[in-house]
Amino acid sequence: MSYMTLLRGGVAGLALLAAASVAQAEVTVLGWPGGPEETALRAVTDIYNAKPDLAAENKVDLLFTSRDGFFDKLQVDLAAGSTAFDVNLIATYSIGKYAPFMEPITLSDEAGRVFGDTVLKTMQFDGQQYGVPTDLSLHFLYFRKDLTDALMADDAAKAKYAEISEKHLGKKMEPKAPEDWMWEDFVANALYFTQSINPDSPTRYGTVIQAKNLLFNMMVFHSWPRSYGANWTDDAGNITVDSEAFRTALKMAKMLFELGATPPDSTSYEYAEANAAYSSGQVAAMVQWNAAAADLTKAQAATVSTAPPAGPDGKFTHIHGLGLGLNKAAKNKEGATAFLTWLSTEEAALAYARAGGAPGLAGETVAKLAAERPDLVQVGDYASNYGFVMNGATSQNALSVYEAQAKEFTGYWAGTQDLDTAMKNIAASMTELLK
Amino acid sequence: MKRRMGLRWLVFGVAAFVMNFPVLATVVTAFKSPGEVTRNASLWVEAPTLDNFALVLTISDRLNIYHYLYNSLAAALIGAVLPMIVAFPIAWAMVRRGLFRQVLFPLVVNLRALPLIIFAIPLYLMYAAVGLLDTRLGLGLLLAVVNLPLTLMLLVNAIAEIPAELEEAARMDGARLGTLLIRLVLPLCRPALITTFVFGFITAWNEFLFGLMLTTRDAVPMTVGASFFFATSGGGVQWGVAAAVMVVAALPPLILGLIMYRRISGSMVAGAVKG
Amino acid sequence: MIKPRRLENAILAGPLVLFLLAVLGFPMILSLIYGFSDTSFQTLSAPRFSGLENFRDVTTDADFWQAAGFSLRFGLLTAALECVFGLALAVYLAPLIQRHGWIVAVLIVPMIVAPAMMGLMYRLVLHEFAGPLPYYLYHWLGWSPSFLGPRNVFATVVAAETLQWTPFAFLLFLTAYQSIPQDMREAASVDGTRPWRLFWKIELPMMMPTVFVAMFIRFIDGFRVFDNVYTLVGAGPGGSTTSMSIYIYETFLRKGEIGKAMAAAILLFVSAFVLLSLAQRMLNRADR
Repeated sequence: MSYMTLLRGGVAGLALLAAASVAQAEVTVLGWPGGPEETALRAVTDIYNAKPDLAAENKVDLLFTSRDGFFDKLQVDLAAGSTAFDVNLIATYSIGKYAPFMEPITLSDEAGRVFGDTVLKTMQFDGQQYGVPTDLSLHFLYFRKDLTDALMADDAAKAKYAEISEKHLGKKMEPKAPEDWMWEDFVANALYFTQSINPDSPTRYGTVIQAKNLLFNMMVFHSWPRSYGANWTDDAGNITVDSEAFRTALKMAKMLFELGATPPDSTSYEYAEANAAYSSGQVAAMVQWNAAAADLTKAQAATVSTAPPAGPDGKFTHIHGLGLGLNKAAKNKEGATAFLTWLSTEEAALAYARAGGAPGLAGETVAKLAAERPDLVQVGDYASNYGFVMNGATSQNALSVYEAQAKEFTGYWAGTQDLDTAMKNIAASMTELLK
Repeated sequence: MKRRMGLRWLVFGVAAFVMNFPVLATVVTAFKSPGEVTRNASLWVEAPTLDNFALVLTISDRLNIYHYLYNSLAAALIGAVLPMIVAFPIAWAMVRRGLFRQVLFPLVVNLRALPLIIFAIPLYLMYAAVGLLDTRLGLGLLLAVVNLPLTLMLLVNAIAEIPAELEEAARMDGARLGTLLIRLVLPLCRPALITTFVFGFITAWNEFLFGLMLTTRDAVPMTVGASFFFATSGGGVQWGVAAAVMVVAALPPLILGLIMYRRISGSMVAGAVKG
Repeated sequence: MIKPRRLENAILAGPLVLFLLAVLGFPMILSLIYGFSDTSFQTLSAPRFSGLENFRDVTTDADFWQAAGFSLRFGLLTAALECVFGLALAVYLAPLIQRHGWIVAVLIVPMIVAPAMMGLMYRLVLHEFAGPLPYYLYHWLGWSPSFLGPRNVFATVVAAETLQWTPFAFLLFLTAYQSIPQDMREAASVDGTRPWRLFWKIELPMMMPTVFVAMFIRFIDGFRVFDNVYTLVGAGPGGSTTSMSIYIYETFLRKGEIGKAMAAAILLFVSAFVLLSLAQRMLNRADR
């Protein structure tokens, strides 16, 4: 389309003019706003900019926009060839989507040692490294230790627990330490701590499942089916979403909705609401992003975090990374690449972690932070031992797959459609999206 | 009579309370500390604090509420006044001469029904090419488009209310078209112009989506800037701060609306009826 | 003389036409092209012409019809409710307002707040753990309804929209009511007409044009609702609160199916155009 080329030419021309007239070019980095990621990025940028051998035109300038609609805006900006930033945020689940507008980079030599392979993979697409992994996200099982301890010490309570689990799960169960939970224990615990099922329960709800029609909520859910062996596709590329594993997990969660073990409004909950529910003290346990650790522990001091419950196939947690990559239309590619390479060194990673970021670091490196950031040791540990990425979750349409799943599965949980319909729809969508 | 008035007061009280409930709740929340927000969900604030407002009103490294307010003001002014300037002449022509009335009028009015977001990409490219990206003018132009339908509608109706004889009399006195429009018709439309301005300003001020897509740093309006304040550690919404920023963000159009409300009611009926 | 008139007309129409062409001309053309092409974010500069394929995709998409249905129901219901309440409030409170004009100011506050903000405010208000409404309901009535749960969510979003925009209808009707000539009312009361009859037989018919306009504007706004539904509940469980605008937004930005989104928007525009023309004709007939 020659019109478009004309426009592109126009933009390029303007950009050239702008670049020529500006005395100092800079490296503009578009980061993830409003959280510990921002604070940490600012801290490491200060360190980088203070380096004596850094040329003035390669100094880093940070840009933060709105959290709401961040990825929508990024999509429009990248697709239109924006030169407003040289480096931008990417996430594992969207690399495939943005890769056509970005350039692969080479990391520092230490990167492999500092981060470990699993973590570096979260920033790879099509065999290429598209970014530096700055933050790792995975899920914890948060639970109220005071409640679970009290339960395990009280025989009458244990009897009630067995009674409830027999009634709804078909067998008498005994309360266990959450670190050893299987998903059935999770469900049994949730049922016990729900007032509408057990009037003596100290909390109103046993758990809270964030079930808003939102793609991120699917990520939270995925450890459940995965631990039963589920996957998006098999190795040959056939869609395997309609499987016993997925169905079992979905049905178990549905039971919690039906029996009222999660707040009735949780079909509209996402991160903020679920945390508010847990913080109010009316929820006994929940699976949530690791980023919530500080807030939840501040609100409920008896909170302990551990890995999500296990299933027959093992213990799993979904992981994905946030990172920074290179914009194909960047004005100052050299300066940007230099910054990104430095970011992948141990010096940068440790500084980032010390300033509040949550990078996934390999054993040796993270051991250096054991005193200041013990939670990072936990994150690194879980990432390497339990972390998983579904087949196809880094593909170009990965986000759309998550969205389609969110729509169908939350519909099933909310009761707007039955499981078979949901499965039929999602299998069709995924076949279309992942072909 | 007294009892009937009393009942009317009651109805007013209930209606005002119910419709304004979210606003009330937000104002109340703005005075709650973070701990209290999760602890105390009632409308009575136990330990009121001005911390949230202090945070919102201080200029920090990244958050500068005065910058956003200024951007919104500039863009909203353009977005409210420009459509009036552009639509007035043709509104007159549509009423008095039926110019383009059958096609252009419905076309413009219908723009109101269209989610303009579909034009995001071409607009972005266009703006990038002419350097309007991330500028108050650029945003203002688009807000003007958003306000065009209602502006045209209200102006057409206001002009239709003016008796044609008045204009004929002026013509007979030898007035030329330009003078006629500016000296006679325009002043008679004043109530409608004020209404249009107020509605246009409020609508322009409240636009979020295009404010997000078309600005990055220099021209970020208040609606987008407000969301900068929302997130805290890990991305949870800190309701106290969010509430405070919503209150501050809503003040300018609110003040404008409350000052001008008398004028609005004055001309809305004239503006709306003829359609 | 024709020539000067034509020049005049050109000058009169010029600003609007030029303005629209300048700002929307290119986008409209490009959108039309995209509507008939197979495009994604990766292929923006090289759309592949695909004829009516997008339109076929849209019209066979169950989500599209679900969104259309939602928007229709939502638009009709909110318009009706807003007009009924607005009319009732305007007529009933008119005597009070005559003496205490500030009442109007208090009642129009909701419509001045940005819809996106209003959605967020409702999210807080209805939150089971941090919101005042569930708090008081639970404490006073022991009742904990799930406002945003699948069964109640439609009612909740309708209520939120209605409560925010009833003031708009209220304002329209108030002015219409106040502009009814006072002598009409005096004549009626001299005749001994009771207030209710006065309203039904005289005042309401005189306000009919305003009623139509109010219904129409509120319907259009309700039909294209985006901000407050989206910030309150997003697309809804199973997509149940997806309005036409949300559908177009998500198809466009989330799924990246640009052509399909454009096709949907074109369909929307055309149907709105037809509807408006029809309503216009009806209104002109009613005016006579």
